[in-house]
Amino acid sequence: MQDFVSISLVYLGIYALSTLSLNLQYGYAGIINFGWIAFQAVGAYIAAVTSLGPASPSGFQHYILGARLAFPLPLVLGTLAGAALALVLGGLILTRRIRRDFQAIIMLIVAIIAAQVVIATVGLFNGANGLSGVPKPFNGVFHLSYHGYQWFYVGWMAVLCIVVYAGQEWLCRTSWGRALRAMREDDVLAGYAGINIQALRVVVFVLGGAIAGFSGALLVEFLGTWSPDAWSFVETFVVFVAVYVGGRGNNFGAIIGAFLVPVVIGTMPSFLPQFGYPGLTANLEWIVIALAWLIIFYLRPVGILPERRHIATRSRVSARVNATTT
Amino acid sequence: MNLYWEAVGFGVIAAASIGLGAMGFTLQFGLTNVLNIGYGAIMSLGGIVAYVSHSAGISIWFGLLLGGLSASAVTLIVAKTILAVYARRGAALFEMAMITFGVALIVEYAIAAITRNNTYPLTIAIEHAMSLGPLRFTKVQLILVIVAFGVFVLLDLFLHLTRLGVALRATAVDPDLARASGIATNQIVTAAWLLSGFLCGLAGGVFMVNILTISAFTGDSLLSLVIVAALMGTAGSVRGAALAALAIGIATQVVSVAGASSYDTAVAYGFLALVLLARPRTLQGGLVTDRVQITV
Amino acid sequence: MRERAPGTTSEALRRVAVSAAPASQNERTSLRPVSNHPAVLEVGDLRVSYGGVPAVDGVSLSVARGEIVGLIGPNGAGKSSVLNAITGDVRPAAGSIQFAGRDVTKLPIHRRARLGMARTSQTARVFEGLTVFESLVTFARGAEGASLTRTLLQRGRRLQEEQAAELVWEMLDRHGFAHIADLYGRELSGGQRRFVDLAMAQIRSPKLLLLDEPMVGITAAILPGLMSALREAAERSVGILMVEHALDLVAELCDRVIVMVEGRIIVSGTYEAIAEDVEVRRAYLT
Repeated sequence: MQDFVSISLVYLGIYALSTLSLNLQYGYAGIINFGWIAFQAVGAYIAAVTSLGPASPSGFQHYILGARLAFPLPLVLGTLAGAALALVLGGLILTRRIRRDFQAIIMLIVAIIAAQVVIATVGLFNGANGLSGVPKPFNGVFHLSYHGYQWFYVGWMAVLCIVVYAGQEWLCRTSWGRALRAMREDDVLAGYAGINIQALRVVVFVLGGAIAGFSGALLVEFLGTWSPDAWSFVETFVVFVAVYVGGRGNNFGAIIGAFLVPVVIGTMPSFLPQFGYPGLTANLEWIVIALAWLIIFYLRPVGILPERRHIATRSRVSARVNATTT
Repeated sequence: MNLYWEAVGFGVIAAASIGLGAMGFTLQFGLTNVLNIGYGAIMSLGGIVAYVSHSAGISIWFGLLLGGLSASAVTLIVAKTILAVYARRGAALFEMAMITFGVALIVEYAIAAITRNNTYPLTIAIEHAMSLGPLRFTKVQLILVIVAFGVFVLLDLFLHLTRLGVALRATAVDPDLARASGIATNQIVTAAWLLSGFLCGLAGGVFMVNILTISAFTGDSLLSLVIVAALMGTAGSVRGAALAALAIGIATQVVSVAGASSYDTAVAYGFLALVLLARPRTLQGGLVTDRVQITV
Repeated sequence: MRERAPGTTSEALRRVAVSAAPASQNERTSLRPVSNHPAVLEVGDLRVSYGGVPAVDGVSLSVARGEIVGLIGPNGAGKSSVLNAITGDVRPAAGSIQFAGRDVTKLPIHRRARLGMARTSQTARVFEGLTVFESLVTFARGAEGASLTRTLLQRGRRLQEEQAAELVWEMLDRHGFAHIADLYGRELSGGQRRFVDLAMAQIRSPKLLLLDEPMVGITAAILPGLMSALREAAERSVGILMVEHALDLVAELCDRVIVMVEGRIIVSGTYEAIAEDVEVRRAYLT
């Protein structure tokens, strides 16, 4: 039982980073990244192939690189991989003056085709079988038991999530965060203000991609394995629903959404009695999530924690000045 | 050299399913301005229905027709019930895309639930390949190509020669003007949904006959190529979509013969890049805008 | 300049011109000697077409610092397209645009904005999901506020925010709009949206103000305030190019009026002069 809790908490952390990443891209900047999962996947793959040793020709896994780098390098490289993919895709897709739904669907297609390419190119990341045996960080250092290691990872994830959350929340409260929202509301109008919206869009996309890559690297280091099953394009959908439920444009709301949607809805079926054939509940789960999505969209709530309402405060100096003139 | 001609032949066969789907997609998109991600699930549905009817003893060709018809019905129902609700409330374009994403999941996983996630192999009599010049087809493959080409010709004639077809194109260009001219736009839109649903269902069935398997998720692999092909032509241009499908089909097969077969899907990326670099799409009075009208 | 047919005037136009001209004419000549100022905007042989259909067919015009120029004409004459080409919203097929001595023809919107070009929109465009205060501060901070490197590295960030906030409060107080500072764009009335649209354009003291039908939907109560705001701007040497349909307002505000019909300029001059022009009356009456 305690395993279940510790694993769920680790997943909560991963999903929290995921929703933070998507909230930054979509909630704040208005970029509809239907291919989000590809960024988590590239982070996971790069972290894996830079912590696994070189692929032996006679071995059962075939992959590129294979560097066996020490912690924290695989994590850093996974994060950079997410950022790099975002730079390339953002530069190609987001700098064109095309409709946002076009951009969204193109991102989706990129994610779909990426999976096909990875599966077909076995030498890249071991195709459909994926990678396994990815070393876990700190494992040798502390000599923890299996359970002990799970809880250690929970603590590790908590620290990281707090750091990322704090950083993102701070950033979103600056003028840069306000510029993101301006771009989301009306990007041409933001251009009239002198803001280079193409550059801003790519920058925020890269940041979000970095966090997504980071989450993927952390996940693969926890699981020890990663295969195309783990990053089907529908996974993006779960993160979107989580962001909507928790509250778009609110970072703490994003974390709440990460708890409610993937963790609660994802683990609830294990408590229900099994019915139908095995795998039926998984399919029904997806239908429930998709229905919830449509209902949320219909009711258009702002989510559990809506975007923070901004109240302008005058500094004492200007208040005094204005008091004397009125 | 023969290998390349074979690849071209395979490409034409692949283009049959891509083209049918692309024509359906662009027809509907050109008219309603909604990017419907749900077509992947619709294509799976068409394939499943065709498979089921074939298993029940019906001829596979009739099964394809049934697949198209059922897909047509489901598409219309979804459009008029779910999509219309959101369009009425003034959903923005990208919001519509997100809604179709949700719909796609519901239909796809409903099919998966019913079919128990099975992948079904299609068994039809395999015959010897015939030679048609440098190309080699089996009889079944030839029929697929003829069916797709026939549909294309019929569709093109329909759009240019019949009153309904011309009205459809007029409404796609300027819905307000069409309505003002007395064209019953509601009927036109309904016709577009039915037609596009039929084409996509047929595409799914044809794809199944080509690859000889079908599952709830088969449509997804086809969807990417269908959308790329549709985006390469002008919105609503059936000829453009068909041509693009031909190009994509042949390119993927030729590349897989030339290089490793793993790169054939990567070819789709190349076409996608072409779409991005060459086609700025929403120029309304010269201003790029997200605020294009949705008709559902 | 086209030749004027002598002795024929439209009675309505004349009445408006006579009532508006004397007072404002004196005002203009005494406060803003426009003829001596250099041109802040020079448009040369501009051509804009949409899908092969020409909307602007060889338009050349100039606006001097401190000058208010009106651009009028029947619907579909291409006036908004001229404005959009100047701001960078639309790419012209041919022609040149010189702004404050620089060739901006190929520059993107935000670069022109940074050089001191500002505009308002036909539909009073505001940020629906930002408060009035936030919207104005966004414009006041401009490009610097949107730079990630500056946000992370620069030390004087808070000071810059405070200075921008000062500017915003000063503008809100001056026009009596401090009470709407915390309203979101979507919560504003039509008149308030017009104000915010214009305030955003003006808060960085632009050199050139491009207005697309600024008086549409303005109630009689707000109108004098709007007009004095524009006059003030001109007094501060801002060049103003204004597309407008309300001819009486054009008569009262503009130093010079340009008339466009079907993509071309048919006449330009003072309001009184063009009001008598035969071509102009034909364009408006047919």
